[in-house]
Amino acid sequence: MSSTRLRSRAALYFVLAVISVIVLVPVATVILTAIKSKADFYSGMGVLSLPSHIYWQNFINAMTEGRLGRYMLNDIIVSFLKVPIGILVEALAAFALTRLEIKHRTGIFIFFLLGMMLPFQVALVPLNIIFSDLHLINTYFGLFYVYVGFGISFGILILRGFFKTIPKDIDEAAWIDGCGKFRLFWNIVLPIARPAVATLFIMDFLSTWNEYLLASVLITDKNMRTVASGLMTFMGEHGTDYGLLYAGVLISVIPVILVYIFFQRYFVEGLAGAVKS
Amino acid sequence: MKVRRRIDFGAYAFLLPALIIYLSVIIAPTIYSFVLSLYRWKGVGTKKFVGLHNYVALFTADPVFLTALKNTFIWVILTLVFTMTIALILAVLLNGSFKGRTFFRGLFYFPYVLSLIVTALVWNWIYNPTAGFLNGLFKAIGLTSLQSNWTADPKISLYCIFVASCWQGVGQPMILFLAGLQTVSVDVLEAAKIDGASKFKSFFVITIPLMRETFVIVIATLIIAAMKVYDIIAGMTGGGPSNSTQTLATYMYQQTFMYTNVGLGTAIACVMFLLMLVIIVPYITFTAKEE
Repeated sequence: MSSTRLRSRAALYFVLAVISVIVLVPVATVILTAIKSKADFYSGMGVLSLPSHIYWQNFINAMTEGRLGRYMLNDIIVSFLKVPIGILVEALAAFALTRLEIKHRTGIFIFFLLGMMLPFQVALVPLNIIFSDLHLINTYFGLFYVYVGFGISFGILILRGFFKTIPKDIDEAAWIDGCGKFRLFWNIVLPIARPAVATLFIMDFLSTWNEYLLASVLITDKNMRTVASGLMTFMGEHGTDYGLLYAGVLISVIPVILVYIFFQRYFVEGLAGAVKS
Repeated sequence: MKVRRRIDFGAYAFLLPALIIYLSVIIAPTIYSFVLSLYRWKGVGTKKFVGLHNYVALFTADPVFLTALKNTFIWVILTLVFTMTIALILAVLLNGSFKGRTFFRGLFYFPYVLSLIVTALVWNWIYNPTAGFLNGLFKAIGLTSLQSNWTADPKISLYCIFVASCWQGVGQPMILFLAGLQTVSVDVLEAAKIDGASKFKSFFVITIPLMRETFVIVIATLIIAAMKVYDIIAGMTGGGPSNSTQTLATYMYQQTFMYTNVGLGTAIACVMFLLMLVIIVPYITFTAKEE
């Protein structure tokens, strides 16, 4: 390697290191706050200094007093309802839009796309009114149903893009073999689309887990809150106990970080797919 | 071989579940919002029809609404100028082949998987005037004059929140740009190099124009997200101090759910929707043309 190349490589690593510090410092401050006891916290030591010992009680308190365990359970229930059922509904529609005889398919597709761009706010008040009348406020079903609705546009966009790349010859062969529409969908097209489904599964899980606005309006009962809106009440109730709050923040992101570490390639590939399609 | 050529009602059954949910969650409530925005209503009791009065009131007699409108536009501009540029620079840095490329990619994208509420809580702590990292840092390096109240200072509050939002969100456009850079053929760039074009010049003259489609997607997604900005502001300032960080979304929430001015709140939501349409229509036209 020539010396100029060596120098530019060193400059690159320097820049990347600086950016990495910017990404990681906020995370470090949160971790170092979460492991401090109140005594350590008020002893005047700096934000980034290590306490003499790790104060695990913050994490225990966050789960019990802070009810974070309950919030996470609620989020898991809603996510595990929303994600698979949502994807099934979106895949059925995307299948019809790409492989069945449908009139005005582009028009219908664009109609579905509109939802991706509408602000949640524009549907918020009527949903709140209707859900109150139907006693769906504070129910898993209510939140799940709204999440499916707001996910439809993005899901159809991604799945339709992928379904279009599957050759039509497969359909013809299947029709000739006497394969029905649903079997073509379920046994042939959906398995081929596994990479797109996997990507969608992960992105959907993240956005469901992280959603705040709808969850804070449609859920008012303490025991039914999900993680994002639960953490916010946490701040109000335990405003001064920073150790507890940030222990809660750390626990709440564990599922997200695990999903990210294990399925990282789907994020990159999935988004790249969206650009190409 | 033509196997089937008749109107196929079975095919529409596949669309039905998505259509029913979509109409009931999104389309019908949106239409109902427009109707509600024409009434004066406190959420309970009788509705009084006032025509376009809510809209007139917003634009002529409500300084907070105008602040919210201005802040939303500022947010869109900040996103396009800073988030997009930083994302593009990061993508270019990470596009070469060198050791650790995948690691840095993963690291820079990572904040994007955190919720905006978590981001808000994390950065509240960075900005905390008494015990936060930022003021502590300035104290440690002897620049106490740079200490500030950050999000509690109405003059800079919005920009402080934006920095947090940029920290969280830059990974998404970065990945899109990286994907876009992959589609630019190496041969073209080689040819330009042989013709004597500098790296810098060929980036602006060749690479960027070839990434036109990527730019459209990035710009559209960034604008759409910026117009809706809510969670991070709700988590950091709730629109304060003294309404200096209100956006359309936070003000809509406040009018509707805190002051129960349902008519006014839905009118704000409808303004958001109409502004959004101005962006959506050209975007959809573009997407449809590419089909």
